[in-house]
Amino acid sequence: MTLNLRTSSAQRNERMAAYLFLLPAALLLIVFSLIPFLSALRLSFTNQPLVPQLLPDGTQRSADFIGFDNYSDLLRVQLVTLEPELGDDGQPQRDDNGDLVYPRARTILRGSDQYEGMSELTQFDLFGTRYLVAASDPTWWRSLFNVFTFVIIVVPVQTSFALALAMLVNQKIRASNFFRTVYFAPVVTSMAIVSVIWFFLYNPDQGFINNFLSIFRIGPFQWLDHPASAMLSIILMSIWQGVGFQMIIFLAGLQEIPENLYEASALDGANAVQQFRFVTLPSLRNTTIFVAISTTILAFKLFVQVDVMTFGRGGPEDATITPILHLVNEGFRGSQRVGYASAIAVVFLLLVLAISLVQRRVLTQKEA
Amino acid sequence: MKVSRVLLGLLLVALFILPMTASAQPAEISVFFHSGRGSERDALDTIITNFNDSQSDYVAVATELPEGSYTDAVNAAALSGDLPCLLDFDGPTLYSFAWRGYLLPIDSYVSDDLKADILPSIIDQGSYNDHLYSLGVFDSGLALWANREMLEAAGVRIPTGLDDVWTLDEFDAALAALKEANPDNFILDLKMNYGEGEWFTYGFAPILQSFGGDLIDRSTYESAEGVLNGEAAVAAMTWLQGLFDKGYATSTPPDDNEFINGNAALSWVGHWEYNRYATELGDNLVLISMPDFGQGAATGMGSWNWGITNQCESPDGAWALLDFMLEPEQMTIMTDANGAVPSRISVLDADERYAEGGPLNIFVQQLQNGVAVPRPQTPAYPVITSEFAKMISEISSGADVQTALDNAVDAIDADISANDGYPSM
Repeated sequence: MTLNLRTSSAQRNERMAAYLFLLPAALLLIVFSLIPFLSALRLSFTNQPLVPQLLPDGTQRSADFIGFDNYSDLLRVQLVTLEPELGDDGQPQRDDNGDLVYPRARTILRGSDQYEGMSELTQFDLFGTRYLVAASDPTWWRSLFNVFTFVIIVVPVQTSFALALAMLVNQKIRASNFFRTVYFAPVVTSMAIVSVIWFFLYNPDQGFINNFLSIFRIGPFQWLDHPASAMLSIILMSIWQGVGFQMIIFLAGLQEIPENLYEASALDGANAVQQFRFVTLPSLRNTTIFVAISTTILAFKLFVQVDVMTFGRGGPEDATITPILHLVNEGFRGSQRVGYASAIAVVFLLLVLAISLVQRRVLTQKEA
Repeated sequence: MKVSRVLLGLLLVALFILPMTASAQPAEISVFFHSGRGSERDALDTIITNFNDSQSDYVAVATELPEGSYTDAVNAAALSGDLPCLLDFDGPTLYSFAWRGYLLPIDSYVSDDLKADILPSIIDQGSYNDHLYSLGVFDSGLALWANREMLEAAGVRIPTGLDDVWTLDEFDAALAALKEANPDNFILDLKMNYGEGEWFTYGFAPILQSFGGDLIDRSTYESAEGVLNGEAAVAAMTWLQGLFDKGYATSTPPDDNEFINGNAALSWVGHWEYNRYATELGDNLVLISMPDFGQGAATGMGSWNWGITNQCESPDGAWALLDFMLEPEQMTIMTDANGAVPSRISVLDADERYAEGGPLNIFVQQLQNGVAVPRPQTPAYPVITSEFAKMISEISSGADVQTALDNAVDAIDADISANDGYPSM
């Protein structure tokens, strides 16, 4: 009886201790993550500006609830079929190359109330018909396209590159600590500073990179100044900056692999490539999953380098705009529409959450 | 941002502590001032000291805020009810502040005599919704600085006043002649090195206006459609883009010295370069009024100006201080320090640089004769200027003009409709 009582009070004490240990973390999460998110969710249904108007009595004008307007302004897309321009003879007009002449998208979109507030996102030809895709926020879709491009290139390239570097600096050679430090140095440097330095390196006229390439008679490239190369420039620089972090994680993983696996495989006659394929890679599976998922999430948050290197524009011509930069520009710069920016935040969070879940599912299934 | 937060914190402390200590006779007039160049700051300190010494009813206390985040700091102060009595702001920010309900109309304070002596451009800039909200101690001037020797060598006629300004064809011919005489140089300095910002709107919107376009439809202030992307606007910006394409100007100048080192024959910039240019070029420097691109010459105007807030306990005292700043002696302390155009006609007449025949008289003529166009008097201005500057950046590096203008129009119209057309209260 007494024994029983004692255990249950000990259990209760333990449970209390567990909650006490949980408390600081839970409190921080609630205050800095949950409450801000819930408040963003609420704001996303309002037209809250960053700086409200002051009423004559000194109080602030309160925002109106506008339902799902922010979400429809963000996501509304419409497909329009374009008819070729007809000439005076009633036949479709052709330009000097013999291509059909279509009216300007803006003329069509401004010509009818049903397209109010929409702008051209893109045009494409399918089965001889020209289609126009109009969106109420083309920048948002462009930013998604850009960030997916970034993720699809950066995640595999940076992960493989990090693994290669890790294997290099894992060699038992002299000065390997020196190389580890060199590869890791960009990671500990502030991204803002790295961005400023690379901004100068990329300068088309006086930058180091073009000057260096000119020795081999390559270039000059416009780098950040041209829509076609701007995102690539951001990608190169981001990989250079971030690869050291993944390298360190891979390095830790490599050093966990027991030496006897390599010895045994060597005795079985495996060459270096086979050792990599059948010993190193399988042993690094968990490390690789971690690196791939964390790199993906980090890559989706692309912001600082674009903000610094394009002066917050995501230019030229929206070529480097990202969802986070678009969010910041809508909420805190220009029109300062905090309600709309909150809607972007909510949609973007759901998107990244969904992708991470799918990725986790796919990567861990391989194990089974 | 962090610096401004700290300053804001200090300011809040100051606002709480100072009234307690100064609860004696003189009422306190708190002042916000953007920290610009050092000479401007010293001039303001001198003027504040002079004001405090000149009378015993009020004590003015100035707080300096960093220019980069000045508007943010003012917005934050407004929302927490901590606005000062008197504050300064860059020209068109006024309309956004007035619309947000920070400012008190000052019509009743300004006597007819004073109003008649103030440059009409300053009155235009300070007016919103049929009320006068602000007055400035100085205005700005934008025209073409020219290198006389280079123009004469290329056989280019030098206009002398507003009546004989270059026409578009003449200006094009002049640029072509200058380029031919100096084929390796960018002969027109457009100060692209200032970067994307207010300069682009201040400096290049006049081209748009002189071609017959504008930043927004000023009859309603509800849309830029057809005005900023109409035929005239496209012609104007195509012409501007041509300056880069033809090699007259560059969008990436190596430094700020293209004009003084003799590479550029013309410098498209404001009054603030006068002292430097005059020192370097001497008699060789000549100021030319803005060309007429078809619909009459146009130029920029406006600068930092002062308004009284409605959170001020003694607006009379705030006006006393503003009135004091506008006195000729105090005004000259400021304009001598920053080289800007004094805002009172009587002061201008007494200054030999601005008087008829003076080297800077062109600025006065432009400001007095309606050549200077105020920037749009609407709370949407912050978005208008940011979109216009973005458009200039894009076309200067080769983007399609019509598309860039359409995008700017869409962004401006979207902002106005998101704010229900900025209804006043």
